[in-house]
Amino acid sequence: MEQQYIRNFCIIAHIDHGKSTLADRLLESTSTIGLRDMKQQILDSLDLERERGITIKLVPVKMNYTAKDGREYVLNLIDTPGHVDFGYEVSRSLAACEGALLVVDATQGVEAQTLANAYMAVDQGLEIIPVINKIDLPSSRPDYVIREIEDVVGLDCDHVILASAKEGRGIGDILERVVEKVPAPVGDREAPLQAMIFDSVYDNYKGVICYIRVINGRIRPGQTIRFMATGGVFPVEEVGVFRPGFQPCDELAAGEVGYVVSNIKTVAEAHTGDTITDNGRPAASPLPGYRKVKPVVFCGFYPVERDEYPQLRDALEKLTLNDSSINFEPETSVALGFGFRCGFLGLLHMDVSKERLRREFGVELVATAPNVVYEVVSKDGEVIEAHRPSDFPEIGDIQEVREPVIKISLFVPTEYVGKVMKLCQDKRGTYVSMDYLAPDRVRLVYELPLAEFIIDFHDKLKSQTRGYASLDYEFIGLKAADLVRVDVLVSGEAADAFSFICHRDSAYHRGQAAVRKLKELIPSQLFEVPIQASIGKKVIVRQNVKALRKDVLAKCYGGDISRKRKLLEKQKEGKKRMKQIGRVSIPQEAFLAFLQVEEDEEK
Amino acid sequence: MKKNSSRSQKIGSSLGALSGSFSVYIHIPFCLRKCPYCSFFSVPSTPGESEKYLDLLKEEILFYRAFLGKGSEASTMYFGGGTPTMLTPDQWEDLLSFLGENIPISPSAEITVEANPESFTKRHADAWRKGRISRVSIGVQSFFDRDLLWLGRPHDASKACDAVRTAVREGFSVSADLMFGLGGQTLRSWASSVETALELGVEHISLYQLSIDEGCRWNSSPPSGRADGYSFYRWSQWYLPRKGFSQYEIASFSLPGRHSRHNTAYWRRDPVLGLGAGAWGFLGERRYRNEESLEGYASSVRTCGGSVAEIESVSGEKAAREAAVLLLRTKWGISFGDFSNRYGQAILGSIRDTLRREAPDDCFYESRDGLSLTPKGMRVANALWSLII
Repeated sequence: MEQQYIRNFCIIAHIDHGKSTLADRLLESTSTIGLRDMKQQILDSLDLERERGITIKLVPVKMNYTAKDGREYVLNLIDTPGHVDFGYEVSRSLAACEGALLVVDATQGVEAQTLANAYMAVDQGLEIIPVINKIDLPSSRPDYVIREIEDVVGLDCDHVILASAKEGRGIGDILERVVEKVPAPVGDREAPLQAMIFDSVYDNYKGVICYIRVINGRIRPGQTIRFMATGGVFPVEEVGVFRPGFQPCDELAAGEVGYVVSNIKTVAEAHTGDTITDNGRPAASPLPGYRKVKPVVFCGFYPVERDEYPQLRDALEKLTLNDSSINFEPETSVALGFGFRCGFLGLLHMDVSKERLRREFGVELVATAPNVVYEVVSKDGEVIEAHRPSDFPEIGDIQEVREPVIKISLFVPTEYVGKVMKLCQDKRGTYVSMDYLAPDRVRLVYELPLAEFIIDFHDKLKSQTRGYASLDYEFIGLKAADLVRVDVLVSGEAADAFSFICHRDSAYHRGQAAVRKLKELIPSQLFEVPIQASIGKKVIVRQNVKALRKDVLAKCYGGDISRKRKLLEKQKEGKKRMKQIGRVSIPQEAFLAFLQVEEDEEK
Repeated sequence: MKKNSSRSQKIGSSLGALSGSFSVYIHIPFCLRKCPYCSFFSVPSTPGESEKYLDLLKEEILFYRAFLGKGSEASTMYFGGGTPTMLTPDQWEDLLSFLGENIPISPSAEITVEANPESFTKRHADAWRKGRISRVSIGVQSFFDRDLLWLGRPHDASKACDAVRTAVREGFSVSADLMFGLGGQTLRSWASSVETALELGVEHISLYQLSIDEGCRWNSSPPSGRADGYSFYRWSQWYLPRKGFSQYEIASFSLPGRHSRHNTAYWRRDPVLGLGAGAWGFLGERRYRNEESLEGYASSVRTCGGSVAEIESVSGEKAAREAAVLLLRTKWGISFGDFSNRYGQAILGSIRDTLRREAPDDCFYESRDGLSLTPKGMRVANALWSLII
């Protein structure tokens, strides 16, 4: 296909603004997929995505379309992931396109993430076609939303398309507009190969399948290719296009979108954003914009049944075959036994991964509360990466602690501005700016410690704005903060599983909450058990678990004796399985409950 | 049956190896109906069934008589159930005289029968006195109708009073069983039950918290509203000693010299010959159980004389630790001399170390000669035992 008849575009939309439905309509009206084969929202192929209504994995599709000018065009739709955790992936998807549909819900207006992605698309020079969706709804306010797009996104909305994906309205206009407005690709097909990977998946039969956009040159089976970032060299076994299933073809040339199979074993060897070139005739330089994504949120995954550790390891390995942004390494916990410390791009990424392990691999697991990685500078100038509280040096040896900080944009109806500002302040946010998007909507920008964000920011925001706020964030770097390690002492002995890092100002509250929780979780013992929270040597909170008052069930004659002995033996066994801290026995369940506890100290 | 036969032979020869005294437990498995919290073996009695059962019991007695060595005699005997008062006074006379003829019983033997208020009569008392019964243990549970209804007992408070009064008047040493931790029970009503028992002249009280074990009806659907037992138990430990009843065991209080010698035999791991369906015994470091169904018991006794269905050998360290736990049920506790003679010095040392290290000081007394639990120790005995088992 000649480049002038190719259009590569994507859809930018907020969750629930109808992206998937719109994509389905486009497929239908270009007869790319028969109605009979149509599962609702075909592009969200994972069950989980369909359930949550969000797209995590990109599934591109090639459509043939005969335009009003009588010519046949190829339209490549590259879907984008719809969550803040995947900002980099979105940027790579955009880089594979020349145009984007900006879909906005006619009843809701522009949301934070849509705006962030739209800006990104503008930055990358994409042609943006605004589409107002859901105009069939009685509460739709297209005029208002058009004004918002003009004011906030800065787009000319003279030719905005009013659509209802649900009712199929405006679909024809969209296709025409894509052909008309989105520029055709302009790569040099005779230049050395440069193809950008915008995603890769693992297939049991084919190995890793890279989704690529060919920018310059050509790629065909038999060719030997090189991955410019990782340096890997592989023979091309198959190339093809998305219909939306995999359909092999002879070659992919500049301007085209498709996939390449080349005997790669793990997705870690095919990074999103990497450039594929011809090994014999390499391009002078890779395509711009590549970076290696680094996980920012960490948590421990432990099998519920201790002997299921190997299954968990296998499942994690399989999961990372498909998602190289997850990393994991073995970890041992006094309370939970053997497990893994796993890193994710964000909270949702973590949740989804956990859910996939459960559903796709049948692994029941316990996840500890998420945390971030701190940078600790010790008095002698050494910089330590602290993944867990126990990595922190003694308080006297610490010069400075730095924590990851994000810049968060919140779109909030004016009536909730006060509450959201309070929330941000409670979460140690630093005010950056506030501007009115519309008379009744405000954009708030704060800098927020990531550690505070991942605890329960989403839930709190949702409940305090009744779900009317939307947010987007980006990672902006590390900042020094007055952070301390709070230790928990059980009967005078430090129990490191219970230590945590927090800001000095909230140490008392968090310590109080932790001690109170443990007081409920630790069963009465023969002795009174003091539970203390301390910073360094200084105790800040203390409560006692009262000593056992009564633990005896009376009668014991004849046959009771054996039964009773067995019962006691069982208790003793049970106690052996408990974690001993000094004379105190703490059951496994208490650790689980403590480690899984959502921070609820303010309630 | 072959296995039953060899097991019964084994138990028989253990009995034969005894030279001194032993205890006898006889199980009478009949009940009017089963209480929802009961996990003992019992069946509703039908006429003719009890007659047949007594014949089998006699056969079992004869089987063991053959093993009895010279000079060994029964020092305590206990008829438990079930409901022993489901047997008629005539049946009792018959059974007791048969026992007297076939088992040597010490002249000073303590012989106890469990009696339930709904079926105990003065005629039972007459038959028992003739048969040398000295002690009657009455399943009162409570002197409140409310509690008794809640427990599903077939008697009411006035029947309970009558039964205790009758037994006392007929000259028996009377014990009452009382239960706490019942739904809706208050400390006041519990206190009143205990006081009533004392006023009626009992010399012994067994008090225990309702426990819902495996094998009872309530196990699958426990009743709600059960009271926490602490205050009841604590109060009893304070009140009863003031009335002259000392706590000589976790669940037992008595006037001086009126403790149950039979139960004490269990806690000292003295030999017990168990007879009847579902009965437990302990002979020669072997704990055994008889067949638990009437059919099983019958066919086994008919074919081989005994009916031992299960034997558990308890020896070595296991036996020593079991002994320590049992001895610590009682106020006499562990006597260092006796204990190390029977179970060895090493294990005793280990038990003492564990307690010193892991138990609070106010939970046990330790002297040069022995070790026992304090009242506080008795309240948390389970936690202490699980340290040393």
